[in-house]
Amino acid sequence: MVKSKKLILLLLIALLTLSGCAGFKTKNTSEVEAEAGEKVVVDFWSFWGSEIRRPVIEKIVDDFNKSQDKIEVKHTFVPWGDIWTKELAAIAAGNPPDVVINENNGTALRGMKNQAMNLSKFLEKDDISDRFYPELWEATLYEEDSYGIPFNTDTRVLFYNKDAFEEVGLDPEKPPTTWAELEEYAEKLDQKNGNNYERMGFYPLFGIESDVWMLNANGSNFFDEDGSPVVHNDVNVETLNWIKSWKDKYGDNAVNAFKSQIDSQQGNPFFSGQLGMIVQTPTFYTQIRDYAPDLNFGVVELPEREEGSGHTSWGGGFVAEIPEGSNHAEEAWEFIKYLTDVEAQEYWAVKNFDNVANIEAAEKAAKSEEMPEKDQMVYQMAVENMENTLLTPVPTYAPDFMGLIKPEIDSILLGKKSAEQGLQDAQSAVEKLVEKNKK
Amino acid sequence: MSKKLFNFKRKEGLQGYIFILPWLVGFAVFTAGPLLFSFGASFTNYNVTSQMDFVGIDNYKSLLMDDQLFWTSLYNTFYYVLFSVPLTTMGAILLSALLNQDVPGMRFFRTIYYLPAILSGVGVYLLWMQLLEPGTGMVNTVLSWFGIAGPNWLFDPNWTKPSLILMKLWSVGGSMLLYLASMQGVSKSLYEAAEMDGASRWKQFIHITIPMITPVIFFDIVTSLIGGFQIFQEAYVMSSNGDGGPVNSMLFYNLYMWKKAFETFDMGYAMAMSWILFIIVFIITIFNLKMAPRWVHYEGEEK
Repeated sequence: MVKSKKLILLLLIALLTLSGCAGFKTKNTSEVEAEAGEKVVVDFWSFWGSEIRRPVIEKIVDDFNKSQDKIEVKHTFVPWGDIWTKELAAIAAGNPPDVVINENNGTALRGMKNQAMNLSKFLEKDDISDRFYPELWEATLYEEDSYGIPFNTDTRVLFYNKDAFEEVGLDPEKPPTTWAELEEYAEKLDQKNGNNYERMGFYPLFGIESDVWMLNANGSNFFDEDGSPVVHNDVNVETLNWIKSWKDKYGDNAVNAFKSQIDSQQGNPFFSGQLGMIVQTPTFYTQIRDYAPDLNFGVVELPEREEGSGHTSWGGGFVAEIPEGSNHAEEAWEFIKYLTDVEAQEYWAVKNFDNVANIEAAEKAAKSEEMPEKDQMVYQMAVENMENTLLTPVPTYAPDFMGLIKPEIDSILLGKKSAEQGLQDAQSAVEKLVEKNKK
Repeated sequence: MSKKLFNFKRKEGLQGYIFILPWLVGFAVFTAGPLLFSFGASFTNYNVTSQMDFVGIDNYKSLLMDDQLFWTSLYNTFYYVLFSVPLTTMGAILLSALLNQDVPGMRFFRTIYYLPAILSGVGVYLLWMQLLEPGTGMVNTVLSWFGIAGPNWLFDPNWTKPSLILMKLWSVGGSMLLYLASMQGVSKSLYEAAEMDGASRWKQFIHITIPMITPVIFFDIVTSLIGGFQIFQEAYVMSSNGDGGPVNSMLFYNLYMWKKAFETFDMGYAMAMSWILFIIVFIITIFNLKMAPRWVHYEGEEK
């Protein structure tokens, strides 16, 4: 008995010590909040934790905090892989952050599902919708109401090596403007040594995927205005056959060898002149700047399928949302307004070399004195390309439709199915999904 | 005496329950509770935030009747389990048999072969993605020394699952340790007796070693079966954007479930999926337990 009493005593001591630890901790956090004083604390989540991005966003937050004395924004970095599942859990638990950066393709879906707050009540008071590129703004709408404010975006452009152009007798100031020219120029740029490619002219699936080419070819998304899927059509069949012809031309070995070098970043064959042209986001320029500063390159909009079909490109991007259930929505809105206003956006654009959603800020950034001439040239091109850029927000009635199209595209490119057959199968699978969800 | 409310035995039992109370509460609140909730919610269109209406067996019906990807993911998972479980089990037994020999420097070899088991997670997957790179990766480079043109591994739908199985084989060290421990426990007198009767090394292995370690084999098979059905991370990390690889060849059951739950927010649907998986694994495990007495040998057990 004595022994067991001793044991219980020991357990009690352990318990007290542990609870003591917990008490100490709570005191600490309450002290932090006391420091903020009477200010309302806005909890802001982003995934920008890298060496480059974190200081930029924290400077913006800091500037906002200093610009007024009612709101204190607290920035929390949540890693990319966790942020949105954590957000969902926090919303479900009724204790969400007040502002979260989320990707713009799913804003409408989250609006429909009551995850993101309807921002109409704020927009009625101060309508800031005309700050942004219309394409970006429309992606935030669900049934005419906005559920997120555009923050940044991107687009796809063609980078080409001017020196290589000159070397094979092409005019370095006349980059390809159609698919036919792209093929012709690539053919000229190709340099073969035995079975190995010493230089590859161009390969359409480095940097982007087949769906971007279909977007480029059609000038529209996989859904028409009534919301019916358009996966199988003549243009898409032609597009996939065209991509397949590139794949057959170079062969898997050459493609894989180049692909693995591209994935390793520093060894990108475009930097060493082993790849003549590549489609990338304008931010790709920062890698050129860091790894191949002497590269003589040009940037141009994506070539069009045939003359007049349009230089359509594809973009994504991020928005600032207020999760449903936030206790400080008013204050969160004030912060979002600041975050997407010219000053903060221009700072972000210049420091990160990133496309921003605010039109005025983007145009100012392109002329910013902080950017060297070459930076300005690429940035200006990126800004101009926004006109050609389409977003692909997921339809709320078929959010996971790409999961049905991708395997069919894979089968087509692997030669397991004809383009005609594969696209027809994809079309009927997506139709079935839409039908099921609309029911 | 027996009418007393707290006799010694009962008192002792009560104390026992008090001691394990934290775990009981934890189980009820954090395991059994969510389990029951997910069972209930699998009959609704629950999406966490805006809706939870009863839809009867609609989720189960559309999973089994109209969802092609459900069957793809189930096929992929079965394929993986069917190959990876026997192969890793055999690999581990073979390896531990080799490491059970009396050779100088054995400690060194044991360490080497166990090492992969202590490395885990995303780092290992990234490492293997580099090793399996079709053009420049180690695996294909070594194969090319012998004049073999290696496959495209993670880019060829026929080779993605074998790639993952190969990766699993590399890290059999964990179960190898269990086998090794149990092999060392096999009485030397058994081998001596067999040797006197003229049994070869191979016969000794088949008729003495294997039967003596069947309890560990059984344990290993049951746990790796359950683990195999839950494969998720490998596919999530090793396919581009976690989308399930070329032609959905790495779209495993749990990956598809995760996508339904957190990308399209069809939580009710995903919960129905998890219950179907539960039933499958449950049936297989019961089958295993029923079959066990036929081949698992426990020492000192009375027949």
